[in-house]
Order: sequence, then C-alpha cells, then structure tokens
Amino acid sequence: MNKRILTRSPRNLLFLFQALGIILLLIYKGKEVDRLTVGTAVGLVLVIYLSNYILTRITRGDHYIFLITTMLVSIGIIMIYRIDEALGIKQLIWISIGIFIFFSTYFIIKKIRIWENLTYFYLVGAYLLFIITFVFGDRRHGAINWINIGQFSFQPAEIIKILLVFILSSYYSNKDRWKDIKYASYYLMGIVYSFILLLFLQKDLGTALVFYAIFLAIQFIYEEDRKLILLNIGLFLIFGLLGYTLFDHVKIRFQSWLNPWKYIERQGYQITQSLFAIAEGGFFGKGLGLGHPDFIPVVYTDFIFSAICEEMGIFTGIGIIMLFMIFVYRGFKIAISQGNKFYRILALGISILFGVQSFIILGGVIKMIPLTGLTLPFVSYGGSSILSSFIALGILQICSEEIKTKEDLDEARD
Amino acid sequence: MYNILAILFKYIFIIIIYLFIFSIIRLIYLDIKGMEVISFDDRAYLKLINRKDSLPFKIEEYYIIDEVLSLGRHADNHIVVKDPYISKEHFQIVEDENEYYLEDLDSANGTYLNGDKIYDIVKLQDGDIIKAGQIEFLFVNRK
Repeated sequence: MNKRILTRSPRNLLFLFQALGIILLLIYKGKEVDRLTVGTAVGLVLVIYLSNYILTRITRGDHYIFLITTMLVSIGIIMIYRIDEALGIKQLIWISIGIFIFFSTYFIIKKIRIWENLTYFYLVGAYLLFIITFVFGDRRHGAINWINIGQFSFQPAEIIKILLVFILSSYYSNKDRWKDIKYASYYLMGIVYSFILLLFLQKDLGTALVFYAIFLAIQFIYEEDRKLILLNIGLFLIFGLLGYTLFDHVKIRFQSWLNPWKYIERQGYQITQSLFAIAEGGFFGKGLGLGHPDFIPVVYTDFIFSAICEEMGIFTGIGIIMLFMIFVYRGFKIAISQGNKFYRILALGISILFGVQSFIILGGVIKMIPLTGLTLPFVSYGGSSILSSFIALGILQICSEEIKTKEDLDEARD
Repeated sequence: MYNILAILFKYIFIIIIYLFIFSIIRLIYLDIKGMEVISFDDRAYLKLINRKDSLPFKIEEYYIIDEVLSLGRHADNHIVVKDPYISKEHFQIVEDENEYYLEDLDSANGTYLNGDKIYDIVKLQDGDIIKAGQIEFLFVNRK
C-alpha cells in the first residue's frame, strides 16, 4: 500500500502533496474548519486524481499540461486558504468549476469544427465585452476592469484575452480569405491596438502588455510583410514614451520600480513589503502559518508568489517558475507537432499568453521589471482568472491532438 | 507543537514539489527519446521539397522507399495525398536489384521527372526531382 503511493509517478506525488497540505491546514486551523470544507477539499483532490487518470484514457494528446496546472493550483490554494479561509473556500469552488469547464471546453471544441471561420464573431464579442466593461464597470485597485453580476464579479479582459488568440489564429491560418481586402494586416494591427488602447484607458496596464506580447509574437512568426513588425515595435516605443510622459499612473509605476525605498510610504509600499517577505523566507521558508504574508496588500492575487516564497521558501518559488517553464515548453511542443495551422497558432498563442503573463507578474513582484497588476495563472485567487485559465488549458489540450478537418472526415466516408 | 510540524512539512513540501518536477521532466525525456530518428544512411528515400506548411493537406517530410512506394489519393497508397490534382493511383517507385524505377500509373495530370513528363518506366538517379500536382520530391539514393 505504502509502496504504491510512493511510486515516482507524478500523479501520486501530486496526490501526496495535496493530502499532506490538507492535513497541515487542518492542524493549523484547528476547530475552525467545518466538515463541508474538508469534504469539498477531499472531493477536489479525488477529482483531480481521477481527472489526471481519465485524461490518459480519453486523449492521445498531451498528458503533462493538466498535471502541471493541478500542481500549481494546489500550491496556490494551500497558500490562499492559509491567508484567508473564506477566500480559500471560494477558490476551492472556483477550481472545481474550472475543472468542469476544462472538460466542457475540451468536448465542445472537439465536436464543433467551425472555429476557423468565426473571425467577425470573435471581433464583435471582444468589442461588446469592452463596451460592457465601460458601461457597468467597477473601479478596483485603480483599474476599471470588473463587472458585478449579483454577488459575483468578473473581469471581461480575461475572456477577451482568449478571444484575441482566436482572432489572430483565424486571421493568420487562412490568409486567402482576406486577399480581397487591401492592407488586411494593417486593419488587424489597428484592431489589436484599439484593444490595447481600451485596456490602457481602463488602466489595466498588465493585460495591455500581455495583449501586445501575444500580438507581436504571432505577427513575428506568421506575418509575411516584415515591415509591419518593425512598425509594431516602433509604435510600441512611441506609445510607451507618450504614456510615460502623459499619464501619472505609468510614471508612478516606473519610479517605484527604480527606487521603491524612496516612496516606501505610498507607491513603493507593496513592492517593498513583497521584497521583505521574500527575503524573510530564505531558502526553505518560515513554514506554513509562521510568516506574516498579511503585511502585503492584495497578497492573495497579485502577490501570492511573495507569500509562497515567505512561508514555503525560495525553493518552492523556483519550483513554480520551473513548472511554468515546463508548461510553456510543452505548449510550444504541442504547437510544433500540430499539423492544422489554425490549431497550431492557437496553441502558440495560449502558450505565449501563459508564459508572458506569469513572467510579467513574477518579474513584477521580485522587482525585476516594473510592477503591473496581473494574476499569476492558476495560482492566484480569482474566479475569472481561474475559469479563463482552465478554458485556455482545455483549448491547449485539444490542440495537442491530431485534428481531423471536415474534408478529411468527408473523404474518409467516400 | 504546530511550529515543529510546520517546519517539518515545509521541507517535505519542497522535496515533493521537486520530485514532481523531476518525474515530469523524466517522462518528457523518455517521450522525446522514444521518437527515434530514422537513419537514412544506406537507404533510398524521397524528401519533400515544398515547405510542409505551404501544402493544404497532410504530408510527411521523408518517405523511405521499401521495395515499392506508391502515391495517390486512395487510402491504399503508401503516400496518401488529399490533393485534387493527384489521381487515385498516381505514380509508384519500384526497387529492382538495387535500382529504382519511377512509373506513372496513368494519372490524369501526369508525373514529371526533372521537368519532363514521363510516359513509361524511368530509371531514377540520385538527386532527381519528381513532381506530381503541386508536390515536389527529391529522390535520394546515396549507395
């Protein structure tokens, strides 16, 4: 029995990790924990274990990406629950819904084969979501990017991110469709820049940066008109400088990056607390529950990484970075071996999305690059972030399989 | 009491996380190693000249010629190409006493060897270019 659990299969190691996490949190929180929470947590562990097992049966594609993400999710939720129980329970529910959404996305994308041709639909969807954000939006932490529906609040930009990847893939996978339109690539660039501008107006700088990175990367790989790439980089520099001189909130971010100690009372407070926390932890951390992650503002979303470093050690932090690196590597591998061009660009876009987003926020909290508010995919607390990440994961899972196009299926019938 | 436990657990957590990462890397390594590279040293093969992603159908980069290699739209061929310019049975390459012969199988749009349409069986030389529809292959035989 013991021997079976300790076999070196990553699935079992993950199970062991989660089980130990639950035990430790139970001891830490003592009598405060109610039975329902324990039940949900144990249920989720079993669901993750089963999902990892089922995936090896139902798909011939990649088996590692889901394993990696469930590990990230587990590290994240242990930390979130330790910081704030109520949020931990909510996160537990979000993750359960996320896994359900992952499988639904997988089956929906697999059954319906018209995704290449819906470019206009994605465009309209993206603009509609932007309009909704501006009309019903709510300002939080300095950015208008939340919509409240009853008790739930959600961030439309998380969905638009995925729509952007779809727009780019459906454009570059079938350029013949756009032959009649002169300067089609310029129009595309205009559209993406309008997205970035709208995000900028919402003061959501991090997401704007992610959008730009995805666009530049896919344009760099697939655009035949190489001038456009230079133009794109040039425009970015110009807009960056303009933003820096015209808008105070951009300037503040920059200054508190260059020298946070000077502004430690206000703008530099978050970043200095984050640095203190990481330094406090050392290589092996303080131990769960023995640090003070609550000193950092918004610790459960943007600064979850610092809290993990403080209590679980820099080694766990490096582990998280390695997990993201393997994940992105798998994503690129999936893209390279995918034969269908649309799904290849889709896989590429999603890998870049996760890679860039995690880089921006991890670099931000360790003061390597200026800090912009973003969630760490799969680790941070947040309903819309978890859900959109799992949707993207489901799409990546589909891309890892051999795609039979409609013509293939028709001819097989002849 | 809890403090000792928490300190113990933090080491266990780190060990598990790293074991997890290494077991995944090991599995990926085995996966990559499994895709063994076929050695082309002393065998004749066809190499695709077109860029693979410029063709709107499934095709491989290399095809090893093992006694006989046929190309066509029908599923019984060794190379199945879903291209309307390719006939159901388009051409085949046959090996006979270490020589390779190209034969057109009455295809509608013909097979071209180094730019000339072929009508009968033609002996292949190393470096010949075979064209059918929009696909171009390089024949390689380094023996």
